[in-house]
Amino acid sequence: MASPVPVYNSNPLDEHISSTSRESLKMELLADVSLLPGEERIIDKDIIYICPFNGAVKGKVLITNYRLHFKSSDADVVVTLDVPLGAISRVEKMGGASSRGENSYGLDITCKDMRNVRFALKQEGHSRRDIFELLFKYAFPLSHGQLLFAYVTQEKYGENGWDIYKPMEEFRRQGLPNNKWRITFINKSYELCDTYPTLLAVPVNSKDEDLRRVAAFRSRGRIPVLSWIHRENQAVIVRCSQPLVGMSGKRNKDDERYLDVIREANDTAKLTIYDARPSVNAVANKATGGGYEGDEYQNAELVFLDIQNIHVMRESLKKLKDIVYPNVEESHWLSSLESTHWLEHVKLVLSGAIQVADKVSSGNSVVVHCSDGWDRTAQLTSLAMLMLDSHYRTLRGFQVLIEKEWISFGHKFASRIGHGDKNHADQDRSPIFVQFIDCVWQMTKQFPTAFEFNERLLLTILDHLYSCCFGTFLYNCESARDQHEVRSKTVSLWSLVNSRMEMYLNPFYTPESGRVLYPVASMRHLELWVTYYIRWNPRIRQQQQSPVEQRYKELLALRDEYLKKLEELQLSDSPSSRLGNIPTPNTSSSATPPQQYTQLHTPL
Amino acid sequence: MLTGSKTTFKVRQMLPDIKERMLSQSGVHARSRDVFGLRCLPGECVLQRAVMVRKKLTAREGRGWVSGTLFCTHFRVAFVPQDSPKPDDNADPVLLGDHDVALASIEKVVVVGPNRTKLVTPNSSLKFTPEELVLYCKDLQVICFLFDRLTPDAQVIEITYTIAKTYQPLKPGSVLSFQNAALGSVEMKQFLSNRRRNTHMNWFESALDWEQELERCGATGWRVSSVNDRFEMSTSLSRSIAVPQKVLDTELKKSFAHFNEGRIPRWCWRHPRGSDLLRMASFQNNIYHEKDDIRNLEMILFGCQASLCVVVELGEELPSPADVQLAHSRLRALCLGDISTSVSVPDDKWLSTLESTHWLDYTRACLRKASEVACLLRGGHLTVALQEADDRDMGCVVSSLVQVMCDPHCRTQHGFQSLVQKEWVVAGHRFYSRINYHRDNDKEEAPVFLLFLDCVWQLLSQYPSRFQLTDDFLLALHDSIHLPLFSSFLANCQRERCKRSQNLGQSYTPVNGWRDMDSSSDPSDPPLPSVWDWSLQYSKHRRDRFTQPVPPTPPLQPLLNGNLNTNPDTHRLTDTIPGSVFLLSRGIFSCPANLLPWRGGGGGSSGVYKKSHRRAASSENVPGLERLLKAWALAEFPQGLTSTSGPQGPLDPYEPLLPLLMGPCMGLWKECYLRGALHAQAFSHPISANHPHPVERLAREVQQLKDELALVSTGTDTSPPAKMAEPRRADTNLNQNTNNGTFLFPAARPQSASAPRAAPRAAAPPTSTNHHTSRGPPPASAPPSRHGHKDNGGNKHTFLFGHPSVAEARPDQHHYPAPNNAKLPKSNGSSIAS
Repeated sequence: MASPVPVYNSNPLDEHISSTSRESLKMELLADVSLLPGEERIIDKDIIYICPFNGAVKGKVLITNYRLHFKSSDADVVVTLDVPLGAISRVEKMGGASSRGENSYGLDITCKDMRNVRFALKQEGHSRRDIFELLFKYAFPLSHGQLLFAYVTQEKYGENGWDIYKPMEEFRRQGLPNNKWRITFINKSYELCDTYPTLLAVPVNSKDEDLRRVAAFRSRGRIPVLSWIHRENQAVIVRCSQPLVGMSGKRNKDDERYLDVIREANDTAKLTIYDARPSVNAVANKATGGGYEGDEYQNAELVFLDIQNIHVMRESLKKLKDIVYPNVEESHWLSSLESTHWLEHVKLVLSGAIQVADKVSSGNSVVVHCSDGWDRTAQLTSLAMLMLDSHYRTLRGFQVLIEKEWISFGHKFASRIGHGDKNHADQDRSPIFVQFIDCVWQMTKQFPTAFEFNERLLLTILDHLYSCCFGTFLYNCESARDQHEVRSKTVSLWSLVNSRMEMYLNPFYTPESGRVLYPVASMRHLELWVTYYIRWNPRIRQQQQSPVEQRYKELLALRDEYLKKLEELQLSDSPSSRLGNIPTPNTSSSATPPQQYTQLHTPL
Repeated sequence: MLTGSKTTFKVRQMLPDIKERMLSQSGVHARSRDVFGLRCLPGECVLQRAVMVRKKLTAREGRGWVSGTLFCTHFRVAFVPQDSPKPDDNADPVLLGDHDVALASIEKVVVVGPNRTKLVTPNSSLKFTPEELVLYCKDLQVICFLFDRLTPDAQVIEITYTIAKTYQPLKPGSVLSFQNAALGSVEMKQFLSNRRRNTHMNWFESALDWEQELERCGATGWRVSSVNDRFEMSTSLSRSIAVPQKVLDTELKKSFAHFNEGRIPRWCWRHPRGSDLLRMASFQNNIYHEKDDIRNLEMILFGCQASLCVVVELGEELPSPADVQLAHSRLRALCLGDISTSVSVPDDKWLSTLESTHWLDYTRACLRKASEVACLLRGGHLTVALQEADDRDMGCVVSSLVQVMCDPHCRTQHGFQSLVQKEWVVAGHRFYSRINYHRDNDKEEAPVFLLFLDCVWQLLSQYPSRFQLTDDFLLALHDSIHLPLFSSFLANCQRERCKRSQNLGQSYTPVNGWRDMDSSSDPSDPPLPSVWDWSLQYSKHRRDRFTQPVPPTPPLQPLLNGNLNTNPDTHRLTDTIPGSVFLLSRGIFSCPANLLPWRGGGGGSSGVYKKSHRRAASSENVPGLERLLKAWALAEFPQGLTSTSGPQGPLDPYEPLLPLLMGPCMGLWKECYLRGALHAQAFSHPISANHPHPVERLAREVQQLKDELALVSTGTDTSPPAKMAEPRRADTNLNQNTNNGTFLFPAARPQSASAPRAAPRAAAPPTSTNHHTSRGPPPASAPPSRHGHKDNGGNKHTFLFGHPSVAEARPDQHHYPAPNNAKLPKSNGSSIAS
């Protein structure tokens, strides 16, 4: 089979088949596509899929406003292909009317999720014109003045994922506000900084005027604000953008004073400023008005973390794709992998985050920034928080972490991913978030019992990073999301996830609060995430549940069954107790799975 | 808190505060009267001791540090943690405690002082007081001890010197003196000679053992010959060999001369589809082939398959022993690093350096060759003969890998041990020379067996659910290789082993094993135990981890009769001209004229065969064979869309486990090779040593519940039919389970997967090595077929699945248990009313 449909397919409910698709059921070939509510057929066509693994396969392609679906018509070779249009970065015509050779005339589709898809059509009669144009239109709706599918879909879920992150609740969980830190509404209408959230935590000792003056000296007004506070030692992680030092080496007393106030908040002797960039890049940024904190910042030390910029990361992942798709580089695999530098970049991000986490857990406050404070900074703060705070290692806590450090603090998802945008060569695109999820995956590999969620969650997140089916990753910042009414008009990805949580739970999760996780950031212990990057290769076995995991779930089910039967027996034994003396232990097996785990892990 | 450079820092561990340390010190003193907590072996004496030492724990041990007392005896460096339970003087001696290392395993002793490191040799003198003592071991472990400021300086220096002086110095006789230190005392000899050998595995030392294997595999047409009983035909072959029934011993005797070292084609294993696996050494070419010889040679080679024989040449594509040695020493240097020379590969060059060791290339080559052979065998009804010049290295690797891939029995601990006995120990792999214990024969040294273990690990990591043994077991075996104590590895062939035992005044009897004939035997040479006597080496809690907490589905009961439904490909192969021989080399089949030297033409005496073989050589059925291999390449592409719909269809238990050999699919056995890398200490093992596996715990709970349920329902319902209700239904259940290819049997499953195999021997009561009985809680009621191995498997499963299906079948029926009986297990916590 060719590129297999991922197991965690994007169509969550099978019952919904819209009326339009009922008509298309006539074509029994496509009968097995269950369309999402609101999904509509655009076109279907006989076509040849040039499968890189099986060769050319005849079949039929269906294009809806959400996906491209192909199924082979040949009974011998069952090939299906399911690509959300959102995952398409580029559609090109391949060959011309006069091209020679078999299957030389067709379409070449490049995807954002590490694959390419090629179709061939008959050469006569402009057979590809309609499909090309429609695909181009629906794959890039924003470039054609149309709505993203997230605004079209009618999907409903039992859970409302938009409720998962409430900034005030999260601050309260961290023990804020307290006598050193206050919550300010200064950015209520995005006046101070249009890429920041509305609620910000700042030192008690800094007034709103101070904040405005600091904002003038920080790139795009992204002032240093609190991301996380250590409950015991009150050390904090503060994030911001670079100071606007410029070629002339400008100083800003307010900014210097402000950082010193942060340091004083927990009597740290020296505030550590982590600049995520290589020092060369930080110096180069002076030319464009940026720069880094110099000696004028007293009681502060500056550490460069040597993480490369978005362009380097993009090229690195592109090289990785070259060696894994369609065919895995067989000879010299390891040196080819090394030459992509992807794992090395992952290592640097992780080791930067480890340093941040270690500093904070030893009682020193830190400031983290890069250039604008929305790419590398988000990686570092969120990973450090994941290491420090076990709450973020739970299924819901991880959603909060992403909502908080990535979405609300303005990681430019729209620019980095290019949702619905035809400009595939946009220099702003970069797999920064993918890299972050890779780092999380590396941590779950090294600490298999420390995370409540499993690999499938990470894969689902990355699938819907591109799919445009949910509003979660749309737009660059909160102000843009407000403007486009994302929360009221689209569904959150967490609605999907939280309405079928059991799919995403790691059965071996052993909660251990208060333990800081330091992964090994060494090439010797980092691994390529084969089940993500090479998952389209049919030789890579689809990640099935690990046998032990499966066995565990079966035992759980068995246990519930026995419990139920025992209960039934007891009930029938003493009919009087039916009235409620016995609290029902397990009326439904799915109701309390997380609890069951904790019970199990409590040492007897 | 970070030290070191940005990329290779270590996170320093928190030190316990002084007060705590003082307290713990007094604890040590209080305990110090009972021999400081160290349980010595008989005759072992403590040479030196240091208190207040902390040992760095590996990821497997749960990380961090543990404090205790460090000892150096003339056999080992031992470490006893402070809070370890008082040793039980009545327990059987265990050579090495969980924290100990044998002196013979130590390769290098390094001390770390303030700002410097020093390699300590027997002659070196220390000019500073070490803060840290690092022992680099031959098995790639690195053991690190940290001396506290409260450890007396004199003790620190003395124990360092003592270890440096007593760890195996490279001089003649040192191995023997080490063996004597470990096993030489009168008590120890007595103890060893009284040990029973493991009856759950096949030792392949007697004709009976081989007959059992023939029976197990359903290998009809073969018999066991004792023609080599006195090692007169071949010095390196075993006493008993399996040969075609139709060849008489007198005929057989004439064949030995035609093969290098007399290693004639011998039967190894039969695939359930009826193909036979043979192995042999290369042909002696400079020999005249008598007509009768030729007839015998043909019969031996073709075995029971008249039509087709494929000779698989192992020399060309597989690494030579020298290659293996070079690759392993590079891998070792790469993985171990060395703080004394601080030469280590920069992290950003790790991957390419790892590649350039070629170690992974070699494991891949072995797995590929074994996969090809497995696919050929799957085709059915042919003979595959592995041929290697001396048939003592790659022949062992490939033949045993094929069996691990194809035979579920070989993936159990006892089955694997039997396999190693069959294809390595008695087959004459030159363990003694290849491991080079005496360091006197560097040219011969090559860790071929370790390469094999790595290949098995690759299979295990790709198919974890299909193995009963674990990587803990492989690791233990890996480490034992480096300990020169075991008869299994201290000889090059069975003959040498027997010779040694005769010198000892012991006699070897095939039935009872070693037995002392004369108590006044030569005191200088201790009797050597077998490596499979694990309870001698490892504590019970380590041995418990040798097998999966949840054993995999046992293979279906003896289908191994050569009559498994044949697949379509076989037809094409069976109607080939009788007597066709092909050579498989580099993935291509050919029939070179001189493949079988006696057929090569020349001698007119071979005319009878010549005629028919000319025709056979026309490679008519090469396509059929090639299809078998192609099927393998395609098998890597899962057919259809099954992957989206969860579990796959029916799973043939004998379907070979064909590994994926693409670069990203071949892993490095980090738990073995990288455990010494000190910066890797943060790596955590999923399950810490002290807690049982969550699955195991849950299985126990389910078992408990089931017992409760049984109790409750039998309390009310006395009619026996209820229990026996719908056995068919239980069977269906069973089928489903096996189809899923996952474990569905509770850990408490009373039958070990391997037990039925050892049926005739299993009459003996379980010995201490029988770990199966110790795993999980005992079943509430013993299944009827506990020792009735001949019963089909259905009974057991009915027992296990009976209750749920019974209850399911009668959901509306009311039960009236006595209230007292209906007690729920405690472990269900608050969710249950009690």
